[in-house]
Amino acid sequence: MSLIDLKNISAGYARTPVLKDISLTVSEGEAVMIGGPNGAGKTTMLRVMAALLPFEGEMTLEGQDASHMKRRDIASLIALMPQTQEMYFSYTVSQAVMLGRYVRMRRGLYGPSAEDKEIVDRVMNDCGVYELRDRLLSELSGGQLQRALLARTFAQETPVVLLDEPGNNLDIKFRAELTEYLEAWMEGTTEYRGKQIRNTLAGVFHDLGEAARLCRRGVFVKDGRIVSDVDLKDAFNSKVLNEVYDFDVISYKRTESAFWNS
Amino acid sequence: MENKAGTKTINKTKAGRRAGMILSVIACFVILVVCIRAGSVYISLKDLASIVASHVTGRPLPAEVAPMMDSIFWTIRMPRAVVAFLIGGCLAVSGAVMQALLQNPLASSYTMGVSSGACLGAAIVLVSGISLPFILPVTSFAFGLATVVIVLAFTAVIDRMSSNTTVILIGMVFSLFVTGIMNFLATLFSDHYKRLWLWMMGSFSARNWTHVAIVLPVALICTLIVVFFTRELDIMTFGEEQSKAMGVETKKVKTILIIVSSILTGVSVSVAGVIGFVDLVAPHVVRKLFGPEHRTLIPMSFIYGGAFMALSDLIARTVLSPQEIPIGAVTALIGAPFFAYVFFAGRKKG
Repeated sequence: MSLIDLKNISAGYARTPVLKDISLTVSEGEAVMIGGPNGAGKTTMLRVMAALLPFEGEMTLEGQDASHMKRRDIASLIALMPQTQEMYFSYTVSQAVMLGRYVRMRRGLYGPSAEDKEIVDRVMNDCGVYELRDRLLSELSGGQLQRALLARTFAQETPVVLLDEPGNNLDIKFRAELTEYLEAWMEGTTEYRGKQIRNTLAGVFHDLGEAARLCRRGVFVKDGRIVSDVDLKDAFNSKVLNEVYDFDVISYKRTESAFWNS
Repeated sequence: MENKAGTKTINKTKAGRRAGMILSVIACFVILVVCIRAGSVYISLKDLASIVASHVTGRPLPAEVAPMMDSIFWTIRMPRAVVAFLIGGCLAVSGAVMQALLQNPLASSYTMGVSSGACLGAAIVLVSGISLPFILPVTSFAFGLATVVIVLAFTAVIDRMSSNTTVILIGMVFSLFVTGIMNFLATLFSDHYKRLWLWMMGSFSARNWTHVAIVLPVALICTLIVVFFTRELDIMTFGEEQSKAMGVETKKVKTILIIVSSILTGVSVSVAGVIGFVDLVAPHVVRKLFGPEHRTLIPMSFIYGGAFMALSDLIARTVLSPQEIPIGAVTALIGAPFFAYVFFAGRKKG
């Protein structure tokens, strides 16, 4: 079934629309790469998919009209890992990751449950920040912060995860581990409103090769419109990429990979 | 900004944090007792205890305690210290909330125009010469809150997302505008200027149990409401959009909490005038000591803000005795250097 369904969506900031007349369906269990040149509207697209921006058009999330959904219900279905994070006060890594449990935690004045603590420890471990748990977020390096944010996103335990350039600032080993972690996660299911839903992913990735290991489908955005929605395997041989980026991507990548084969 | 400071907080161990909190509560109680006892008339702890006991239990005062002592301590000094403590607490909590909501370490509900609105209300009452019981605090409270509501409404019209920058800008614009009206009134009716000026400088002199009865329920209820939103406050320091993505109804939470903290500030201003710095200093000191989590920040800010205010009032009424220093001057004179010390000492180590 479709988890995210956008029909003729226009959205943006203040009075300038960034996305124009977008229609897109993401089904259960899918992994979708969102690509396109800088400033094309990829981040805006993720924000719209998480219903964070005012929009025009029709949007349904897991069959429900998004404009009438509570934040709590959306956030138990979809988690978004942002590209940047504003920070004004000194929270530690484990405090910040625990905040990701907000929708899952028992409401009221209770502290975190044993289950909350267990899950926070597990995701910190998975994302390689367990040793950094008592460090302040503001003291982390770019890559460490990125992993802490990833841990916070997975602490939310949602069947749909939207990632905005999750590989940013990560060294090659962590990028490989991230891909493996996401591959393993995609095999599983997550509970939403009493049902098990197959894990679903959409993300902005800049490395096409890494994206192709995870995602079968590629949605390319340019100037606020979806210009191509293809099987990623085909994208490597077609002119799609060259057209999207206005650049000879294929020969550039082939020249680059020649070094590895030599 | 704040996050650059290499903070060595005692929040690393839970036990350390808990011990620190218990110590703070005890220290705060000691400070209150010191504030009540200090002054030109001396009282032993035992006599003070029997005065309090006789009022609480309704039993007659023991013969060895002079009735004059009862009136000095029970009618004058105790309510004064308690009001100062409560208002310090209200201002500190309100500051902590606004700093988190507006993601600005310098924000307070003064930023939203509460104090300028309250001053305009006070000016109108003083100028018009109407004298009804409690007309001054009631009017200034109403004007303070009305200013905040107008600021919020205006923000919503101008900026659909009600972003923090818009809120702060509109709050400041309205503050200055309303202060302008007040200054205009004060110039037109300059005979009342001194009274208005004294009122604005803030004072706890002649505050009695009625004032405690007004402030206490507001302080308790509003702080309790804030405590129910501590998780949301933590999340909202990471930005409004991220908070929504994590499941917080940001608009609703923001509106409720801005109004609640404006009520806290409004009641303080209407009872004791405009007193700065407590709302800024107390939450920052508490963050340094116990970390930024609002579960501890809110109650501890109340305690630290209250103790700071009670001590400031002690200084205000004793240093130049029998003359009183305006409390706002004392909080700023102690607050500014202390704040600078706490802030920059922490930074150097980092």
